[in-house]
Amino acid sequence: MNRAAGGLIGTSPVRLDGWEKISGEARYVDDLSIPGMWVGGTVRSPVASGKIVALRRDPSFDFSRVVVVTARELPGPNVVAMIREDHPVLAADRVRFVAEPIALVAAPDKPTLAAALTAIEVDIQPDEPVLTIEDALAGKGPVWGDDNILAEYGIASGDLEAGFAEADLIVEGTYRTGHQEHLYLETNGMIAVPRGDGGVEVIGSLQCPYYVLNALTRALSLPPEKVIVRQVATGGAFGGKEDFPSVLAAHAATLALRARHPVKIVYERTEDIRATTKRHPSRVSVRTGVKRDGTLVAADIDVVLDGGAYTTLSPVVLSRAILHAGGPYRIPNVAIRGRAVATHTAPNGAFRGFGAPQTLFAIERHMDRIASRVGVDPVTVRRRNLLTTGDQLPCGQILHEPVAAGLVLDRALALSDYKGKRGKRSPSANARTLSGIGLSVYYHGGGFTGGGEERIRGKASVRFSREGRIEILVSNVEMGQGATTVLCMIAAQALGLPLEMVTHPYPDTSQVPDTGPTVASRTTMIVGKIVVDACDALAAKLRAHLAREHGAEERAIRFADGSWWAADRQLGSFRECGLRYLDAAGPLVGDATYRHPEGLRWDEENFRGDAYKSYSWGADVVEVEVDRDTLEIRPLRATVVVEIGRAINPVLAVGQVEGGTLQALGWGYLEEIKMDAGRYLNDRVTTYIIPTTLDAPAMQVELAEFPYERGPFGAKGLGELPMDGGAPALAAAIEDATQIFAAGIPITPERLLRLRIEEGGS
Amino acid sequence: MKVSFEVNGEGHVLDVPPLRRLLDILREDLGLTGTKEGCGEGECGACAVLMDDALVDACLVPAVQLAGRRIVTIEGLGSRERPDPVQQAFLEEGAAQCGFCIPGMVMASRALLNRCPQPSREEIRTGLAGNLCRCTGYERIIRAVQRAASLPAESGQPASVETVPASRTVTASVDGIPAYAPDDLREALEILQTQGERITIIAGATDLLTDVKLGNRRPAAVMDITRLACLRGIALTEQGLEIGATTEFAQVARDARVRRHAPALADAAATVGAAAIQNRATLGGNLMTASPAADAPPVLMALGATVTLTSAKGTREVPVDSFFVGYRRCACRPEELLSRVSIPLPPAGDRQCFYKVGTRLAQSISKVCVACRAQVDAGGVLSGVRVAAGSVAPTPVALPEVARYLEGRRVQGSDAPEVMAAAGNIAAREIAPIDDVRSSAAYRSAVTRSLVVRFLQEIARS
Ligand SMILES: Cc1cc2nc3c(=O)[nH]c(=O)nc-3n(C[C@@H](O)[C@@H](O)[C@H](O)COP(=O)(O)OP(=O)(O)OC[C@H]3O[C@@H](n4cnc5c(N)ncnc54)[C@H](O)[C@@H]3O)c2cc1C
Ligand code: FES
Repeated sequence: MNRAAGGLIGTSPVRLDGWEKISGEARYVDDLSIPGMWVGGTVRSPVASGKIVALRRDPSFDFSRVVVVTARELPGPNVVAMIREDHPVLAADRVRFVAEPIALVAAPDKPTLAAALTAIEVDIQPDEPVLTIEDALAGKGPVWGDDNILAEYGIASGDLEAGFAEADLIVEGTYRTGHQEHLYLETNGMIAVPRGDGGVEVIGSLQCPYYVLNALTRALSLPPEKVIVRQVATGGAFGGKEDFPSVLAAHAATLALRARHPVKIVYERTEDIRATTKRHPSRVSVRTGVKRDGTLVAADIDVVLDGGAYTTLSPVVLSRAILHAGGPYRIPNVAIRGRAVATHTAPNGAFRGFGAPQTLFAIERHMDRIASRVGVDPVTVRRRNLLTTGDQLPCGQILHEPVAAGLVLDRALALSDYKGKRGKRSPSANARTLSGIGLSVYYHGGGFTGGGEERIRGKASVRFSREGRIEILVSNVEMGQGATTVLCMIAAQALGLPLEMVTHPYPDTSQVPDTGPTVASRTTMIVGKIVVDACDALAAKLRAHLAREHGAEERAIRFADGSWWAADRQLGSFRECGLRYLDAAGPLVGDATYRHPEGLRWDEENFRGDAYKSYSWGADVVEVEVDRDTLEIRPLRATVVVEIGRAINPVLAVGQVEGGTLQALGWGYLEEIKMDAGRYLNDRVTTYIIPTTLDAPAMQVELAEFPYERGPFGAKGLGELPMDGGAPALAAAIEDATQIFAAGIPITPERLLRLRIEEGGS
Repeated sequence: MKVSFEVNGEGHVLDVPPLRRLLDILREDLGLTGTKEGCGEGECGACAVLMDDALVDACLVPAVQLAGRRIVTIEGLGSRERPDPVQQAFLEEGAAQCGFCIPGMVMASRALLNRCPQPSREEIRTGLAGNLCRCTGYERIIRAVQRAASLPAESGQPASVETVPASRTVTASVDGIPAYAPDDLREALEILQTQGERITIIAGATDLLTDVKLGNRRPAAVMDITRLACLRGIALTEQGLEIGATTEFAQVARDARVRRHAPALADAAATVGAAAIQNRATLGGNLMTASPAADAPPVLMALGATVTLTSAKGTREVPVDSFFVGYRRCACRPEELLSRVSIPLPPAGDRQCFYKVGTRLAQSISKVCVACRAQVDAGGVLSGVRVAAGSVAPTPVALPEVARYLEGRRVQGSDAPEVMAAAGNIAAREIAPIDDVRSSAAYRSAVTRSLVVRFLQEIARS
């Protein structure tokens, strides 16, 4: 196979799902209608914590027109299977967060559903909710288990005590980040269709078809062959459709089986914000021992994540959080402790970055703090400590692959003219605004943490169809990030075919193997590689067949210039040969399974070893303007340099970086969830504030490439990386402008005012 | 009720409840699912379509206002063979990711280019500010619009069929509520006189449909007043500016006479929501909702405006200063319409300002807004001072004490800083802000103080 043939990698063909999205033809779940379809809705808890006393039905409503399901009428165990089995399909005796589902209703139409939902009244005896990390750590409640600890891990290396003894000074700080709502433009939605055999098919907006499948087989007590999960066009996810769709699918399927009708549930925005997962709020305390010149000699870091009421994915979010807590720095003596605690809020879950943005925010702010304590500038303090190739991470991993931390920092500084702009707060005394510039450096481990890939052992297939196309059969989804285009480019390149010949159908679990979920920046790097192997397997089958067909040796069969050849004899185009194979030998499918890269080791018990297969690197420089009087913040420009191995499709890659960067900035200064007794107050798009075009800075993105041998055509992970650096760089820029050090986000004008008053300013 | 209107060049006659949203009509009744719902309250723009060539959010257009309208949705724009230049450019620039915002984004871009064929980057950002995208960071979308502007303009839009009759409906449908859409003022006033208590007036519907969605209102009968030509438009008379109640903010913002004589009002109008909201939201509706956070009232107070309330029995004029009688309550009676706003002509050299501090830079509700006006003589002495603020009390409020204090004082010279600081402090004392989901009392008070000072500094400087 001639890999160079297509020359596709590194070019930017128009995305394959482009037209259907730009024309409005793409069908998202709420655009689908199935004959006889009913609508479903949810009766939810009005309080954060309490005992369910009764569920009353208003006798004036005719309940025979609808189907109602409570915890007592579930078809299987009351469990949405995720990492643990603590998450009920419906609350049975107690509620643990505002908007927790208590009963489900399906009705033939929306007005009937609305009437039925108001005719059900829940009587709950409320008690005092536990809503802060501090109360949870104090064991109040308890919300979960007997101590509220959902997970606890630690990593350490070196000798902490000796490290601190060596230090010239100790710098300490505590950093906090808040809830972040995904605000994917399309809310969560699912359709469940009952099948003749007692099984069910669900169709929805989701990232992980097999997570949903597993949850359904458990909750419905159905064998896997009676459950089909299909993804359709998904209007943004960012992690918000990783764990939650399992809950929604269990609801829709339960109703569909009961009602014997297809049932659609699409959340209204407010319901979506109240009931679904958010980014974990965090509190990270950092204590560092530092030499007079800013060199780190010791760090003791304590990470606490607020997991909400149930486990969901908190343990894995926590492990990624602590594995990134040291930042891209060499710390010879280090201990990192992480705990995820339970509170009476909606369970928090996956969100782009998965714990890393929280701890990277803390360490980056802390580096700025060290810089000002030792009296050097933020660039110098970073350069003194940046990781380089061959260094060791706190988990013991030796970085054999090239470390690009220094490179991305240099490029970002140069592109942005950081040095020329830093510390020039104000152009004139009369200016209404102050300007500032700040930076951050960060890294992100690609693929699952630790042994995750080995456990999942993703499988992929590619199939040659009668239409003469190559279909990529994987369980990974297109959700906006460009997976369809990138996977098709990878397969086209692997087979030496034009891109038009390759398709990536919406995954359907009855058709595709389990390649694992669409998460952890793994789709290009890990799944892409399995797809390459599957393409090789398919080509090998075809080659063997052609050899047999022509009585030639396999070695003599080759594919070049769009045709198969036996020595100098042209055997036909790929399509012609493929069709001959189908006629003669049946389905032409290449299968492959994840192969563990040699030499990488992970010890789960002790959290030591090669935590990630590869790391991607980034540096951000953010420039802001802050209004002197109102403290309004306006990010003007963001310069982002990332090293991602190889960009399969640079335009898509840059799009990921730009979008992730804006999400990170929004988290840094606009996006906030305020609570009243556990109820989210910012539960509408008019109160949960994400950036508009006018809030977005101009962006300049540069891609740096150190091809990664074990990734497909050199690619590493990218999707989450751009979420990591925006917030701390913004905070540093705000500090440059206002001289106010903010240790928590979002840095709203209200927070800045409070800090200014606390610091004794005017 | 029966309404006939046109969608993508095709006429439709439907029998629908009067408050059914255009969005549901498109998606559910006509099967045009390209238009998306992202929030249902005009914030996200995913449902943006063109109505009589203006960008509107389909979630905020009730059926009762559709008669005779021409709607263009994403399905009516271009085809794969002949894409609209906007679509072509979005494709080439890689502007779509998950795609959910894209139909609305494309429609907003089309509307912008129709109005402004060669927009600057800033004009593009402003034109698309009412369309949220969570995936792209907007950079590629902005570039796509720039590229579309450079592509040969091909009219991908269907030619309009001029046959749709504007029906005046005074009937109720089986499952709907009574709906009126009079085009004669006397008829409208008659209806209000006889059944004012139960009638809900609809102008731009941007507040009304949001309230209905939130369950805060369940109208028993509705009357669309946007067909009353006499309530719309801007006139300049010897007394001043007369602005009809149903004049949309888009028009207020662009009108040269308003820009000249009431620049603070034009500035305020340009900050209301974003394009699609400004095309629908009316000045009268903004006053009638009587929200403490509304942007027009403080400006109108500062400019000394009055409103005219009209009923079958006659008219009365009420100064905007005394129009608001409580939280979301105003002086208009059930049998009355707010028919127009009158702004006296300012003296030459009038200095005005409108400062809005919102939750973000567009599509943003005020955390605080301050409007001021004054005249300054050559020696820096102030006269005709008026100050008002929004979002700092249960209603929009005039701040007469600051005004009184400043009257006759100098904002230049050595004691100017003291005068300014004192004025700021008085303003901060005059308001009664609270902590809420959008901001804090402390912030509101500090910012009100600074903005009053800022106005004084700015007029002192020039
Ligand atoms: C996304 C979004 C963003 C917004 N941003 C802003 C903003 O930045 N600043 C701001 O100030 N506002 C903002 N608003 C609110 C603003 O759109 C409204 O206040 C608008 O001006 C109301 O006018 P309307 O014509 O839409 O009123 P409608 O919704 O039609 O009516 C509002 C109320 O007034 C009554 N009414 C209307 N006209 C008359 C009349 N002539 N006589 C008697 N009664 C009448 C109606 O019965 C109803 O009770 C926003 C709204 C949305 C949805
Ligand atoms: S492309 Fe996903 S919201 Fe804009």
